Amino acid sequence: MNIKAFFVDALTSALDLGVARPEDVLKHVTPDVLAQHLPRPLWARLFTACLGAPRVDATLVVETIGIPNLAEHIPSHIIWACIAEVGARALGKEVDVHVAPTALPAQKSAPTPKPAPAPLTPPPPDVIASTPRPTPPPMAAVGPSIPAPASAALADLISELESEPAAAPVRPRTPTAQRFRQSNTGIGRLGASQRRPQAAASPARSQRRGSTEVSDTESAEVVSQEIAVDDSQLVDWSTTENTQATDDDFSDLGRKR
Amino acid sequence: MSQDQRQQWFARVVESGLQNQIFNPSDVLAHATPDVLANHLPPELLSKVLQASLAAGAMTPERVLETVTPELLAAHIPHEVLWACIAAAAARAGLTNVVVP
Repeated sequence: MNIKAFFVDALTSALDLGVARPEDVLKHVTPDVLAQHLPRPLWARLFTACLGAPRVDATLVVETIGIPNLAEHIPSHIIWACIAEVGARALGKEVDVHVAPTALPAQKSAPTPKPAPAPLTPPPPDVIASTPRPTPPPMAAVGPSIPAPASAALADLISELESEPAAAPVRPRTPTAQRFRQSNTGIGRLGASQRRPQAAASPARSQRRGSTEVSDTESAEVVSQEIAVDDSQLVDWSTTENTQATDDDFSDLGRKR
Repeated sequence: MSQDQRQQWFARVVESGLQNQIFNPSDVLAHATPDVLANHLPPELLSKVLQASLAAGAMTPERVLETVTPELLAAHIPHEVLWACIAAAAARAGLTNVVVP
């Protein structure tokens, strides 16, 4: 006899078919019952789901724990009480389901809680409803920790730089073209007006290059190379008259112009 | 809850009870007595049950339920009868001391 599998089938199908609602399950499997019988890992899963959900209700609790886990860990007479109520309601009858604690097989060493009658289940107090939800713990660091800046000046600079993006939207950005005086070349007008359509850039030259061709990069390399020069080839600029310049040479510069 | 959903649920519970040996076909026929079957099963289904029994040479509860499946039971037999079977099995299993009428 596999009672738990039977419970799973009965409750799952009842929920799937709309014969029962998750509230019907929690009416019997109360938080106190869960606290006494649900393993801690399942409690951890339940807490995680509740903290991450925008709304916590019976559907979330039942779906998070799962009917198989309920059937596995909750005492059978409680699950049966739920099923019996669903069945009675399906028949249009009100059944006061009593539990036979002596007839139950001992499943756990923990004392079996006395299930409270459903109509007498107290509503949650307002204090609990108004209590702010505790902040979830911070996420674990996934990258290396960044050390704090060594000096206070550096810290100020970093904080100033970090605060810049927040202040950026306050000051509207002005177009660059208006910050400079337009020249008479017409470039400013071109920049101020809409951009004219441009031809597509030609692709890179793929023709095979001849042996005599020299590219710009190669010529630049040649120029940048040092050429060995003998001392006799050097010109003494200081003694050459033609190139010697004095202050007098520039004195009549304005007259020549 | 619609009648169709209720019917599907009873069918599933009866099927699961048989699969998990919460009760057996004899327990089902202890509640779904020949009188109940005769008064609620449609004629074609009664004929099929009889044909299967004649072919096998016997009419056993197992063979009846092979023909009258849980879906057909839930479709034709009053749900109170099916529930009485389920509740009685639960009481035998020690799940409750209350047998739902």
